[in-house]
Amino acid sequence: MKLIRAELLKLFTTRLWWIMLIVLLGYLAMVLGVVIAFAGMESGGAAPPFPARDTPEFQRIVWGQATGGGILVAVLGVTMMTTEYRYQTITGTFLVTPRRSRVVAAKLGAGVLVGLVFGLAILLLFALAVVPAVLLSGGELLVTDGGIPRIVSGVLATLVLYTLFGIGVGALVRNQIVAIVAVAVWMFVLEPLVNAVPALQPVGRWTPAGAASALTNPQADLGPVSLDYLLPAWAGAAVLLGYALVFAAVASLTTVRRDIT
Amino acid sequence: MSAIEVSDLRKSFGTVKAVDGVSFTVEAGTVTGYLGPNGAGKTTTLRCLLGLVTPTAGTALVNGRRYADLGHPLTEVGAVLEATGFHPDRTALNHLRIMCTAAGLPLQRAAEALEQVGLADVAGKRVGGFSLGMRQRLGLAAALLGHPKVFILDEPANGLDPAGIQWLRGFLRFLAHEQGAAVLVSSHVLAEVEQTVDNVVIIARGRLVRQGSLAELTSGGQTPIRVRTLDPGRLGPALERAGGEVEPAADGLLRVRGLEAERIGRIVLEEQVVVTELAQERSDLQRVFLELTEGEPVGQTVEQTAGQSEGATVA
Repeated sequence: MKLIRAELLKLFTTRLWWIMLIVLLGYLAMVLGVVIAFAGMESGGAAPPFPARDTPEFQRIVWGQATGGGILVAVLGVTMMTTEYRYQTITGTFLVTPRRSRVVAAKLGAGVLVGLVFGLAILLLFALAVVPAVLLSGGELLVTDGGIPRIVSGVLATLVLYTLFGIGVGALVRNQIVAIVAVAVWMFVLEPLVNAVPALQPVGRWTPAGAASALTNPQADLGPVSLDYLLPAWAGAAVLLGYALVFAAVASLTTVRRDIT
Repeated sequence: MSAIEVSDLRKSFGTVKAVDGVSFTVEAGTVTGYLGPNGAGKTTTLRCLLGLVTPTAGTALVNGRRYADLGHPLTEVGAVLEATGFHPDRTALNHLRIMCTAAGLPLQRAAEALEQVGLADVAGKRVGGFSLGMRQRLGLAAALLGHPKVFILDEPANGLDPAGIQWLRGFLRFLAHEQGAAVLVSSHVLAEVEQTVDNVVIIARGRLVRQGSLAELTSGGQTPIRVRTLDPGRLGPALERAGGEVEPAADGLLRVRGLEAERIGRIVLEEQVVVTELAQERSDLQRVFLELTEGEPVGQTVEQTAGQSEGATVA
């Protein structure tokens, strides 16, 4: 417990966390703006990109967009680990706690709380946008039904698990730049690809993004993109958690044990 | 049981033997200087002691145990390693508070330790703006947090100004002689520690060269007087006739024992030979150390410019 407190202190005594939070909220505010603006808007006879604001589908889809913060909390998770190597504070950390796997475990524990805090901040932002958008369009606000509780808790779980995923990657790839680039390429390029191409979707559902989508699956018709290939929500959570734990465990046995010179 | 016990320690990085069979002990209440040129394996030895580097063979024990087996390491060992282990964005006080939190020490120890090293004024300042000397002091403050009785310091005088070095000397003596701590301090500059240490361990190229008390290594009889002359064939026998013990060396150098400098000067005058040098030779320790250091000019420059750890630059 004291190690988790120390890890939280490490994060909150530097500036990175609130810079990340501002970037994250700014990015998601943009996403929200686009989704709300184009909801129900037909263009040249084609189907609208998002359902109309007064429909239950709209609310399910908007809330699900909150997982768009996943990549940034993953990057935050990466930095929680790699910053220690970058500034060589890992030396002091291991002097205080020579059993190194306990340090990794404490970072994962702190990551759960960090993911929750960021998740709640994001959900607050979404509530501030969704509630007026729905009410102004004359729709009925869904709070406890229509699958909203499942999707909202799925968002929280996804953000927590992505934070842990980042910590796992950071432990495995100690170089900060390499780790961040790896996460970015993975999440921006590879995962969208394997989750969009139908032939690759059997693979895609086992990727972190596929697993995360399972958690917030709006079960709505999104036109050309079908989400039927996804795992059940619980399995998605297990897969995402599995990535984080396997990476952290492998790292504890390999990279984390290396000499600190 | 010795506070620090290194026995037949070996560490290789790839094919490079950074530490090659080093053994020594450090007792409570003493300051031991761990000396050697840059790249000799000092840092690697200290990092083995601190559980940061895994030895290839041999043991490095603190209070009879491996560092990783110490229950509350900060309360047993205080370590000061290179000055870069700080997040530039974090304040000095927060840096120490994090260590206190992780080690389960009371948070007020952070402020107390800063006070002790003279950094109380800048406790709330970000470390990024600190000079090298201030970082060294902050590192020392971190070592003091748990009131340990064993101190392991790697080149702590680096970056300190002369006043800071003076302060450090006094502080290390205080820790050892007043508080009864065992202090192991590495340096590649003999003069930095010569006035502080009780015992000396000298290594070069990963191997132990010499160890003993400072008194043993420096006394060893009185040091000779160096006389350099254009006519050693004439001055040498004259000095011997006067009762001196003369050891001729290259370039007209005579190393003379058993005669005062003034007596030698008078013999020179009588013999009417030209003398180009007449000086008391440095202590035995200084000579040993200089010979070692002068042999390794490459390692020295590489390490000083790159600022890398010892192991990486051992050649």
